[in-house]
Amino acid sequence: MINDKVITIIKREINAKLLSKGFIAMTILVPVFLFGILALQTYFIGIDSEDFASLIIITEDEKLSYEIQKEISENELLQKNFSFNYEVKDSIQTTELIENQKSSLIANELTGIVFISNNNLYDKKINYFSKNPTNRQLFDKLDDALNQALLNWYFTDKEISEDDLQFARSWVDIKGFRVSDKDEIEEEGIGNQVLSFLFSFLLYFSLLLLGSFMMQAVIEEKSNRIVEVLLSSATSQDLMVGKILGNALTGLLQMAIWLSPLMILISTSWFVLPKEFILSISWGNIFYFLVNYFIALTTFLGLFSCVGAMFDNPQDAQQGVFPLMLLIMIPFFMTFALQKNPDSTFATIISIAPITSLIVMPARITLVDVSLIQLVGSLFLSILFLVFVFILAGKIYRVAILSTGSKPTLAIIFKWLKAK
Amino acid sequence: MHALEVKNLFKSFGDINAVKDVSFNVPEGAVFGLIGRNGAGKTTTIRMILNIYLPDKGEVIFRGNKVDSAFKDQVGYLPEERGLYKKMKVLDTIKFFAELKGKSGKEINKRANEYLERFELSDRKDSKIEDLSKGNQQKIQFISTLIHDPDFIILDEPFAGLDPINTELLKDIILENSKKGKVVIFSTHLMDFAEKMCDHIAMINNGELILSGSLKEIKTRFAQKNVSLNYEGDLSFLNGNPIIEKISDFGNTTGIRVKEADQIQKLLKLLIDNSINVKKFDANDISLHDIFVELAGSDL
Repeated sequence: MINDKVITIIKREINAKLLSKGFIAMTILVPVFLFGILALQTYFIGIDSEDFASLIIITEDEKLSYEIQKEISENELLQKNFSFNYEVKDSIQTTELIENQKSSLIANELTGIVFISNNNLYDKKINYFSKNPTNRQLFDKLDDALNQALLNWYFTDKEISEDDLQFARSWVDIKGFRVSDKDEIEEEGIGNQVLSFLFSFLLYFSLLLLGSFMMQAVIEEKSNRIVEVLLSSATSQDLMVGKILGNALTGLLQMAIWLSPLMILISTSWFVLPKEFILSISWGNIFYFLVNYFIALTTFLGLFSCVGAMFDNPQDAQQGVFPLMLLIMIPFFMTFALQKNPDSTFATIISIAPITSLIVMPARITLVDVSLIQLVGSLFLSILFLVFVFILAGKIYRVAILSTGSKPTLAIIFKWLKAK
Repeated sequence: MHALEVKNLFKSFGDINAVKDVSFNVPEGAVFGLIGRNGAGKTTTIRMILNIYLPDKGEVIFRGNKVDSAFKDQVGYLPEERGLYKKMKVLDTIKFFAELKGKSGKEINKRANEYLERFELSDRKDSKIEDLSKGNQQKIQFISTLIHDPDFIILDEPFAGLDPINTELLKDIILENSKKGKVVIFSTHLMDFAEKMCDHIAMINNGELILSGSLKEIKTRFAQKNVSLNYEGDLSFLNGNPIIEKISDFGNTTGIRVKEADQIQKLLKLLIDNSINVKKFDANDISLHDIFVELAGSDL
């Protein structure tokens, strides 16, 4: 499989990529882009939180109204960004008020009306009337204050001490401690969750991007007929393997550069992360990620080059590339489900099954300690799948790469697979 | 022994039979012309010779052995549609193609520089291919074809796009290689070039071989009733003359075919009697073009 011609093609691919402005720019810009996106997201969240809202809070009970005013007046954030009017009305009067304020609500002069009926005091069901009744951001800020006010109202006159009341008011706070083969049991912050997302995003992003580049390069070689010159010197298998390995090695180097901050973090004490962002990651994790990435990249470059060989131009190739994009996108979205319980049966299956494991397992190993048998099993199945892809893609590639004219149908592709 | 034996090749693409039972032999040291109009099946035949396409039936034998991937190292191929990596530098391109054929090192560097000098491209060796003119790109493609000193050279329309000086230079290099005992195959639809340079030919029409062998023998066989004529005057009096079978007028040269071989002298007398100023009268001569028209039944 690897001969002198393949090595020559690998060398050319690596030289062409490493020295290209595109590679250098992408290697530098992707981390900047990633951190930029995070910074922008944080900035936009900040902007949203400063949105002004004006509310009318209606209760049927005066005492409750007092408790709410007290609770809100002690809340700095609510005081800063909200204006409140408090009313005590029954449900009929409230209906009338809503009717009177309808135009203000529609014109956004009034953000909303909160109504706490006496009928619902004990089940804590609150009605909210607004042009935008599903404003989750507003509820997140308001519901704690309202809940505290209801608690205060409920326990007044029940002869409960302030300490008991404070106990009842406070929420449970669950801290996770990771138990692993290490001597120490470490407190788990959100650092590993961020890392899990980072791993799966890097895989998703680079597989899609490098796969598309590969497809375009194959289409270009096919359309400007370099491929005929190359095939007069090497076999189609040499050409395909050389191109894929050359690009996969370049991609691997790029990924190693992107991960270098993590490697520095593991091997030195140059950086100190805030306590909640502390990472629990080992060299084994990084090594597994890179090995898995190389297999994933080789698999998908094989599939993308096969699609590139089938078509004469990028427009036609979009049709063929869509199923491949789904093969990358679906496992990526599966990693979101992984965050809830990375050791569930579903998480275990998708982190071992071919294709999905390529993106899911690297994310999973940052969240839980995965057994060696699962890690090896996942890699073994991925390699088996890679061999299958190479056999299949090679059969299509060798015929398709010299075919020109109309777009291939499924029947034609099947014929290519059977061709001598 | 023949350098190359093409035996009963068949190749079809879906319902289209591109090559049907094509067989011919290429002798050692020959400059061989593979002739036919566009779409006749020449390129498909070449691709099967090079093992780029596997034939549906038939085989290709090179010096006694069936061609395989090892044969590719002994071939220099210049395809009809040229292709180079646009972003690669000139010298890197030449060295890349040499390395693909298993050759590298000082010897290749030396040969590359010699060729670049000969084609007056020494000052462009660090230029990117995309910065060269089309004609210069073609020269680089030609150098890349010959850089590994192949025993077997296949050239598809090698002169297309070259100016007369470079055409002459290319012709010299091809003949030099032929003199060194290399086998050269031309695939062309230009009969003139084939006639001037080749000593053996194979003619393909609609995927079928219609003629093959030594050019000299073929011309002798087809020329017995032919005259190649250069003249001034009006030949219209020959139309309908009972001794004339066919007249092919190419402007400066006209090919005339008489019905019987002994009528050639009568033709010469007729021309003089009708005050035609005869500048050249070449009896028993026929152009490759005429032979093709006669066999294929239509013009190229």
